[in-house]
Amino acid sequence: MEKTLPMPLAATAKKINMNKLAKHTLHYLVLTLLAVITVYPFWWTLVTALSTSGDVFTYPPRMWPENPGLDNFIEVFKTIDVIAFYKNSIIISVLTVAGTLLVCSMAAYPLARMQFPGRNIVFGAILATMILPSEVNFLVNFITVSKLGMGDTYTGVVLPGLAGAVGIFLMKQAFEAVPNDLVDAARVDGATEWQIFWHIMLPLARPALAALTILTLVAAWNQYIWPSIVMASPDKFPLSVGVLYLSGAFSFKIRVVAAGAVLTVLPILMVFLFTQRYFLRGFDGAVK
Amino acid sequence: MSASKKNTLQAWLFLTPALLLLMAFSFWPVGFGSYLAFTQYNLIDAPVWVGLDNFRELFEDELFISALQNSALYLLVVPAIQVLAILLAVLVNNQLPGIKFYRAAYYLPVVTTVSVIGVIWNFMYTDDGALNAVLRWLHVINEPIGWLSDDRIALFSVMFVTIWRGLGWYMVLYLAGLQSVPQDVYEAAVLDGANAWQRFWKITVPLLMPTILLCSVMSMLAAVKCFEEVQIMTKGGPMQSTYTALFYAYEFGIKSLNFGRALAASLVMSVFCVALAWLNFRYLQPRKK
Amino acid sequence: MKLKSIASATLLAVGLTASFSTFAADKPVIEVWTMSLSPKFDGYFKDLVGKYNAQNPGVEVKWTDYPWDVIQAKFTAAVGAGKPPALVNLNVPWAYDYKQDGLIQPVDAIINKTQFVKGALADVTFEGKTYAFPHYNGANVIAYNKDIFARAGLKAAPKTFDDQLSFAKAIKAKTGVAGFAPTLGPTKIEGFFIQNGLDVVKGGKAAFNSPAHVAMMKKLADAYKAGALLKDNLFAQDNFQVQMQAYNAGKMAMLVSTPASLTRIRDEAPVLYKATAVAAAPVGPTGIASGGWMFNFAVAKNVDKALLPEVGKFANYLTNDANQLAFSKLAGTLPTSGKAAKDPHFQTVAAPGGAVEKAVAVAASSLDSTRTIFLSGVKDPEVLSNKLAAAVEQAVTGRKDPKAALDEAVAFWNSKL
Repeated sequence: MEKTLPMPLAATAKKINMNKLAKHTLHYLVLTLLAVITVYPFWWTLVTALSTSGDVFTYPPRMWPENPGLDNFIEVFKTIDVIAFYKNSIIISVLTVAGTLLVCSMAAYPLARMQFPGRNIVFGAILATMILPSEVNFLVNFITVSKLGMGDTYTGVVLPGLAGAVGIFLMKQAFEAVPNDLVDAARVDGATEWQIFWHIMLPLARPALAALTILTLVAAWNQYIWPSIVMASPDKFPLSVGVLYLSGAFSFKIRVVAAGAVLTVLPILMVFLFTQRYFLRGFDGAVK
Repeated sequence: MSASKKNTLQAWLFLTPALLLLMAFSFWPVGFGSYLAFTQYNLIDAPVWVGLDNFRELFEDELFISALQNSALYLLVVPAIQVLAILLAVLVNNQLPGIKFYRAAYYLPVVTTVSVIGVIWNFMYTDDGALNAVLRWLHVINEPIGWLSDDRIALFSVMFVTIWRGLGWYMVLYLAGLQSVPQDVYEAAVLDGANAWQRFWKITVPLLMPTILLCSVMSMLAAVKCFEEVQIMTKGGPMQSTYTALFYAYEFGIKSLNFGRALAASLVMSVFCVALAWLNFRYLQPRKK
Repeated sequence: MKLKSIASATLLAVGLTASFSTFAADKPVIEVWTMSLSPKFDGYFKDLVGKYNAQNPGVEVKWTDYPWDVIQAKFTAAVGAGKPPALVNLNVPWAYDYKQDGLIQPVDAIINKTQFVKGALADVTFEGKTYAFPHYNGANVIAYNKDIFARAGLKAAPKTFDDQLSFAKAIKAKTGVAGFAPTLGPTKIEGFFIQNGLDVVKGGKAAFNSPAHVAMMKKLADAYKAGALLKDNLFAQDNFQVQMQAYNAGKMAMLVSTPASLTRIRDEAPVLYKATAVAAAPVGPTGIASGGWMFNFAVAKNVDKALLPEVGKFANYLTNDANQLAFSKLAGTLPTSGKAAKDPHFQTVAAPGGAVEKAVAVAASSLDSTRTIFLSGVKDPEVLSNKLAAAVEQAVTGRKDPKAALDEAVAFWNSKL
């Protein structure tokens, strides 16, 4: 018996492996196909930015750069002060993300876990801001910001966007999923609400916090109308506004504009690539 | 101080920063904006109350009516985005080699700047564009399809770009949601002999329900308020077939400074949004135990 | 805690209805905004402003450039907050819109009208009052692909619009490529009619359903059916980007556009640029050259009254002969000052003598007949323009009888006018 067993077992193992292989191949095939569709426009931009000669619009579209080189990127650096714009973008984004996480999760905690009069009204009012007309917000907010003396400041750019309905909603959902017994145990131990919030809720809501971070970051990084209204001095503009100077009335060069677009997108993409494990936490251990 | 009073005080303290900011930068402009919908206002002189005039003008404009219809039709993107985003999240919710790069790849459209999206998709969609080229090469079509120039198709082409842009965004939210699904439930299900499909329907979907609710509300509001895609690709044409309600508000309000009209248009849309949001909560809100 | 205090301060301030007036600086500041001219013209403006400030110690001119994408929202917000720039760079339709909404004021009292050509002043004169200081102008030329022309057996550029249509049909038939793309979308269609000598409004009534209009629709429909017109975004508000793409990819034979924009052919399609020839844009029966697109400087309505004479003085300096000539040479545009336009620079082809340089000379020759054409003097121009554009689209694509389509739009217009 002992000697005959290995044969079929090995075969089964091999079969399982083959099955797994086929499954994985299919999996990757689907993933790749979708990736081609989502990546292509960025790829085209990159190819355009890296090409130093040839036609930009060709049919069928170009797949590889012609005479690849960094000339267009160098021209971006020569035309606008990329470093200064990056610095401004980073300041605005960091302040926005930190502020949003704090303000939204603080607001979400009582809405998710505490009973108090007026709770539903407050939550309804917050949701209503998502729905009611917000087309003139920029105008009214600019008047408010300048009356507060925050025109031309980072505070003026960042403050109005911190308390967002989406963020509060997202954090509320996450807090609601925290098991009751954990909270009850803490209460029995005499923890204050702030301690529960800070030491139990926030760590357990880390995936939601990470997701909110990456979503807020993109919005803060890419916004251009609002910072351009608040900031009077162009040297305080973030990169999203700064790159618009590349498409001047008499200096529009599509390859340079493409290089500017690549420079704007790359940092966020890098951040996403290296922070994704945070919103996938709790998963790492489970797989092995 | 009684326990419940203390509790209430604490709750409001937690809410204070958000409420102050919301009052200053959301409630105040939103309220002021809603008021302006009943006025004529040019920024310099005080607003003049005109009652329902702006609304009357709106409903007399057949373009606004068809824009509203288009916005309603636009809701078709919601189920498409949500189903695809959930599937995508499940597909990348593992530790296969290279999966990080795939996740980043799906997130790329979210980070891509609007102007680039406009250039590329116009380029993809032209008569001689990449899309027609591929379809011809596959012998699916003989004549090029006017993706953005045929008024029967244009709105759907624009919707596709919305789906394309939104997938990565919702994928991130669903990935975050999936983390709260306990792994041992799956293991138990595997032992019970449930296959992948059953596990998806019986475990993943019900446990994701809160996220599904959040995402579909957001996605519905975004769909009804769709504007950027129209602005960068069709500017409402051809044959005004891609006018959406917010694009209408933008064209006739913000661009030509007719704030009253623009805000009246968005207020009308808000009514639809409220109805939609209510429906969502009614049917997707998980039952509390 | 800091957040909270800031936020409560916000609340307080929102509650206050009185606006704070800004403290008068020791020296009045004249803020000037230009549109999408930085960084290429940084040197030019710093030099110009520096000289002026040195000669006029009583004021301080502050120049800032903002990108086209944001300047409108920024200007609107600045006016709303009571802190407008003294001078803002606008194009003619924007100036008209702002005038209609009462955001800018007439400048008759402070402008030196003698330094401008008549057409330029007329562009920014609405209901008898001048609302802006003319700056630079553009005029269209026609660029065409000589290779495609040769394959279609064509030798020279079309002289009239009818020529252009028949050329386009020949090109489509022989080479399979589209001929050109007229601008038929909303807000552009009126200009198309007017330039071709077809009235849009006459005596306060819509007038675009005459037999001449119908005949024009039939000609266009004919060309459309033959595939002679580039279909992409043909009826969109702006089809310039797709035109540029199509021309640069060799998918369209003729491009009617400004000299400055031809630099894009040079950069994006270098091979095709060598095969590109340039001629004067076809002129309609009105003799008005198409594509005039004038930029100007307007004064916001709530600019400090006491400052107006100084604002005028600087604006006249900014747009005088010498400064305009220098600008046009740098930018490859056309000046709106009479003397600058007569400078030899615009009469000869500059080196290296490519299509871009030829285009400047060609366009300058039609400067006198250059006007910025758009529909003005009607209420709700967007609504009307959309209706007209939709009718034209139905007529040209053959969905509807041209006469019936135009009649319906005329009835709609007259119900609103």
